[in-house]
Amino acid sequence: MVVITLQRAKCIGCNYCVEFAPEQFRMSKKDGKSVLLHSKEKKGFFTLKSPDDTILKNNMKAKEACPVKIISVKQK
Amino acid sequence: MKKHKEIELMAPAGNFESLQAAIDNGADSVYFGVEQLNMRARASINFTMDDLSEISDRCSQKGIRTYLTLNTIIYDHDLSIVKTLLSKAKETNISAVIAMDQAVISIARSIGMEVHISTQINITNIETVKFYAMFADTIVLSRELSLRQVKKITEQIEIEQIKGPGGRLVEVEVFGHGALCMAVSGKCYMSLHAHNSSANRGACKQNCRKKYTVIDQETGFEMELDNEYIMSPKDLCTIDFLDQVADAGIKVLKIEGRGRAPEYVANVIRCYRDAIDSLANDTYDKEKVISWMQDLEKVYNRGFWNGYYLGQKLGEWSKEPGSHATQKKVYVGKGMHFFAKPSIGEFKVEAYDISVGDTILITGPTTGAQEMKIEEMFVNDEKGNLASKGDSVTIPLKFRVRPSDKLYKIVATEFAQV
Repeated sequence: MVVITLQRAKCIGCNYCVEFAPEQFRMSKKDGKSVLLHSKEKKGFFTLKSPDDTILKNNMKAKEACPVKIISVKQK
Repeated sequence: MKKHKEIELMAPAGNFESLQAAIDNGADSVYFGVEQLNMRARASINFTMDDLSEISDRCSQKGIRTYLTLNTIIYDHDLSIVKTLLSKAKETNISAVIAMDQAVISIARSIGMEVHISTQINITNIETVKFYAMFADTIVLSRELSLRQVKKITEQIEIEQIKGPGGRLVEVEVFGHGALCMAVSGKCYMSLHAHNSSANRGACKQNCRKKYTVIDQETGFEMELDNEYIMSPKDLCTIDFLDQVADAGIKVLKIEGRGRAPEYVANVIRCYRDAIDSLANDTYDKEKVISWMQDLEKVYNRGFWNGYYLGQKLGEWSKEPGSHATQKKVYVGKGMHFFAKPSIGEFKVEAYDISVGDTILITGPTTGAQEMKIEEMFVNDEKGNLASKGDSVTIPLKFRVRPSDKLYKIVATEFAQV
């Protein structure tokens, strides 16, 4: 399982995550910040738990590229 | 005798503490970023959209103009938030928006908002001024121009009567004091290449401020450098030739520093306010310059130089990392209570000791940055000379403080002259 977390409030809207993992991330047209699709929010942290391990590689790239380091990706 | 025309002093405000410090120390206008679309997006504290009305209220009460910086590059996904931000700014009577991207300029004009052209557009000639005058009432010139070049532009504006949408002659703004960038007008890709962190989206990692060595890859020889901070410019300071800056015909003097502390804003604005007023009443002299320079050196700086205004061929680079400030603040404790009638503040000491005779600094979102010398104090309800960790201390004050305020002591650094 892959667990992805996004600390959304700190996003500066650079679009890197969408470039690397367009299946999981999208830029919000409302506030210009990144949205982690199908995630659940708890205290500002958006978490997505996916059974699909093939998404790991792309999301790791998104995590590495994020300039404000607000994406965490773990394989469990 | 030649009279200097009035110059608008523009102060940076990264948070409410700095905003208040700017108001209290004589700024004519303030600029600030909201949410992520400004050149200090990485800063931990940024104003939010909900703060706009308070910023506007606090400033308009004192007749201070307010400028929203919205000067990053803009992507398609930002357009909606840009529209929302600008309409909120218009609704809360923010005076103008400082813009770089044509989308921001266009949207702002479509709702009748005053536009200032950011230094990020890097304006260096009169034709470009003329072009942007179709949209903007104030134009920030490139920081790399000499005063001679600036003067030519301001004279030409007058001769050709170049007017902005407001119907007035276009006003020219220049940077007066603060950090400079190693790249032309902040158009730098170093942070982006090294850390994926774009300066042009307000996320500069400031890697130019580090120490570097230069190695010839072919031979492996290291280039001998006098100074390894090869990309870290000293800070700009114009107070010692402000008369020449004023003679170049500029209307607005911008102080850099939205990432700086409130006491920095207080100190620098106080000095430049005094300098601009001295120019206006013909009392600007060498003696005053020396005293302002001493004051400016007290707060964060990387050493000073005159920028490109006087025509230097190359930049001057810092010799040490970080600040050359002659003073620093150390945390003492927090505000507990304010007794309004006798005007006495009560604080709890949580870290450093303070004594009678110490210079203290009190900062807070409403208090701003207030500095004073302790003449007397009461420690745990008794008159005393020294308060230590755990003590409750009351100090007579000339200003109001709040429970959320922080108390600091000002101490000398290794850069202070003994």
